[in-house]
Amino acid sequence: MAINLQKGQKIDIGLSKMTVGLGWNPNEGTGYDFDLDVSAIMIDANRLVPQDEFFVFYNNVDSPEQSVHHTGDDPTGGNSDGGDDESITVDLTKVDARIQEILFVVTIHEAQARRQNFGQVRDSYIRILDNQTGAEVCKYELGEDFSIETAIEFGRLYKRNGAWKFEASGVGYKEDLAFFLSKYFKGQIIK
Amino acid sequence: MAINLVKGQTIDLRKNDKGESFDLSSVTIGLGWDVRKTHGGGFLGKLFGGAEEAEYDLDAIAFLLDKNGKVANRGYAKQTANGRTINMFEGDVIYFNSMRHPSGHIWLTGDNRTGAGEGDDEQIIVKLDSLDPKYDRILFLVAIYQGRKNNQHFGMVENAFIRAVDSHGKEIAKFSLSGDSTYNGMCSMTFAEVYRKDGTWKFRAIGEPHSTDSLSELLRNY
Repeated sequence: MAINLQKGQKIDIGLSKMTVGLGWNPNEGTGYDFDLDVSAIMIDANRLVPQDEFFVFYNNVDSPEQSVHHTGDDPTGGNSDGGDDESITVDLTKVDARIQEILFVVTIHEAQARRQNFGQVRDSYIRILDNQTGAEVCKYELGEDFSIETAIEFGRLYKRNGAWKFEASGVGYKEDLAFFLSKYFKGQIIK
Repeated sequence: MAINLVKGQTIDLRKNDKGESFDLSSVTIGLGWDVRKTHGGGFLGKLFGGAEEAEYDLDAIAFLLDKNGKVANRGYAKQTANGRTINMFEGDVIYFNSMRHPSGHIWLTGDNRTGAGEGDDEQIIVKLDSLDPKYDRILFLVAIYQGRKNNQHFGMVENAFIRAVDSHGKEIAKFSLSGDSTYNGMCSMTFAEVYRKDGTWKFRAIGEPHSTDSLSELLRNY
């Protein structure tokens, strides 16, 4: 049974291999496609990505030590009918020792130019699945919780005393992917 | 240190942590696909079959662009021995009717019309370091020959891919053209480009599908 998350709720996931799945339905009306993106930002004790490649997203689908993998960009939501359209798989046993936290965000690509927000996207959700059993650990329905926003901090996996925990952030912003990245990456961001 | 959020751009993010880069002194664009499987004849096939289904004929194409992003030389119309007219011969468009650039630095290895054979079925090879400085960018495309007429699109072709390989045979990028619903109904694709930047060549994967199968249509913006 999935937990529908409360903001700030912490869960002991007790999993080492999991999948963060993002799903939504294609735009059936006129106008632009809805292009949602899920990304993972892996940060160290300085709260920065130790190198570019620890930012896992549509242009970089693997972290250097292969612990985090992005299945690739779905620009329309048409990848799966009713299931996850984009996923990020995580194997916590492989995560680089420097990494203290993995932050998951969902953004709508070019939301501003296309005048889109989560409220317009049908059946969008983000969830965590246990890779061993395929069971849903927790889930947010994006359209209900973030209707006027364009970017969501879904949650963070963080290390405490050698064990990984998950905290649901559930914070929405009227921002884009660069906004999240700029908090944890001090180099140049090309938009 | 830069992270590029623009879609359709690959940062030079190699798949290993050695920070290896690619040697772009020459680059090979490889296109591969599988021969059409006949859809079991059988009783119904005989009943409704009739017309012979056309083979999938994918073509690799390259546009050599100048500083203005245009194909400056469209070549000339050539009469063949059997009276056919070939357009755009020996111009800055490399395709099945004009396989070798007059400079000799970029060529198409041959026109494969069925996908027979393993690995790359068609290749375009470019000696980037030898190219005339007036060429600023090369755009690589793939199209299904007469796809519209034959009701063919990437969604149907088995195991179609296009990839770019550097001088040392290292794969820079690869797109599968089959089995991705994004490519349903699509008969052509702008695959990738190499362009000059700061005195060196850069590779950018694009992967933008189009519904047209027409070379002149694809060329329209250039």
